[in-house]
Amino acid sequence: MRMERTGICMRYIAAACCAFALFLSAGCAADSGEISSSSENQAKTKCTRTVYAMDTVMDLTVYGDEEILDEAETLIGDLEAKLSVTDSGSEIYKLNHEKEAAVSNDTAELILRALELCERTDGALNISIYPIVAEWGFTTGNFHVPDETVIAGLLKNTDYSAIRVERTENGSDVISVVSVGADMSVDLGSVAKGYTGDRISARLREKGVASALLNLGGNVQAVGEKPDGSAWRIAIADPQSSGTYLGSVEIIDKAVITSGGYQRYFEENGVQYHHIIDPSTGYPAAGGLISVTIVGDSGLEGNFSALNGAKTQVIQK
Amino acid sequence: MKKTRIWIVITALLLAVSGGMTFVLFNQRAAGSIANVYVDGQCVYSVDLSLVTAPFTKEIAFDEGRGSTVSVESGRICISAAACPDQVCVRTGWISDSAAPIVCLPHRLLVRIEENAAGGDQGFNSVVR
Repeated sequence: MRMERTGICMRYIAAACCAFALFLSAGCAADSGEISSSSENQAKTKCTRTVYAMDTVMDLTVYGDEEILDEAETLIGDLEAKLSVTDSGSEIYKLNHEKEAAVSNDTAELILRALELCERTDGALNISIYPIVAEWGFTTGNFHVPDETVIAGLLKNTDYSAIRVERTENGSDVISVVSVGADMSVDLGSVAKGYTGDRISARLREKGVASALLNLGGNVQAVGEKPDGSAWRIAIADPQSSGTYLGSVEIIDKAVITSGGYQRYFEENGVQYHHIIDPSTGYPAAGGLISVTIVGDSGLEGNFSALNGAKTQVIQK
Repeated sequence: MKKTRIWIVITALLLAVSGGMTFVLFNQRAAGSIANVYVDGQCVYSVDLSLVTAPFTKEIAFDEGRGSTVSVESGRICISAAACPDQVCVRTGWISDSAAPIVCLPHRLLVRIEENAAGGDQGFNSVVR
């Protein structure tokens, strides 16, 4: 009788230990499956890639497979090849040098959307101020304060309403021709990253990706939520204390874009000159804002808004 | 009784395996603060920030006489000096998590704290600056 009771007792202990052991091992398996590759659950396989493009570093994280990242990288390369202001093979380069160019749908669409935003912000952001930004040395690294007369001269060629997009339908194709004024140059650098983020996000959703985070050089765009169902946590750098965070935002299916003049600047005669040029003056914006962060549905619009906010506070809320 | 003994042995084995796995996984997490320095996508220097007891600097030299200085302290790393014209990498300051790397575009130099088992889910997923 006594023996039997001990036996039952031991059986209970054994069963409890078993359950505990199984619980432990199951817990470990689930944990490691989520952070590293897990072939049986492809949707949760975390794939990351670092891409140098558009004068920045892009970190792509996709819960899916490597092929999707290949596609995203190809898309980035295609867009850069069309939109680059410095690549002599790009459509924008051709437009700036020949003042008229037949362009792809991507370029035409981005220019049209950018012009629409130029209008909406009353020129607070202007895609034709590239020559002024270049004169300050922000595109070349040859930083200097330009002569006032040089800036005044360059400002005359920054009327974005002189940028024209003609679209004609030819059967099923749409032919787009863009033209600019004689001394004008277009630079889509202020909107290209946002547009690229929107395009990649759309492609990932088409492919059924439920979780992805794209950091295109400070433009963060989230597709869906994290695989565990929680929101992505995006920190905002503190502009006045390097290496620390001002706070964070939690996003699902949104874009977070920050712009500020606190990292890209140079000093001349003890004065700081930052890279966000006010198109109305040709000088660094003196709106009083150090850093502006916008959270929105579209990377393109956020890109614009953040830059605008940093520039003139026009759409600061 | 014989059955019970078999169960005890199985249980002990399971416990040992689980305990071992737990130990391995937790150890991985503790040592999860590896910082890597990449030039042109190639890792040229690696340091475990959790093992740093005294601050030090490390010269990252690349061709044409260009170079950058990386400063390392316990749990954090930064680019403290660089020959690039824009100095954006230096102004980025210290990083102590895997949320975003320090980038020097002119030199294609990147300093990244690698994500560990705990970091990805508990920390920040990205940074805007």
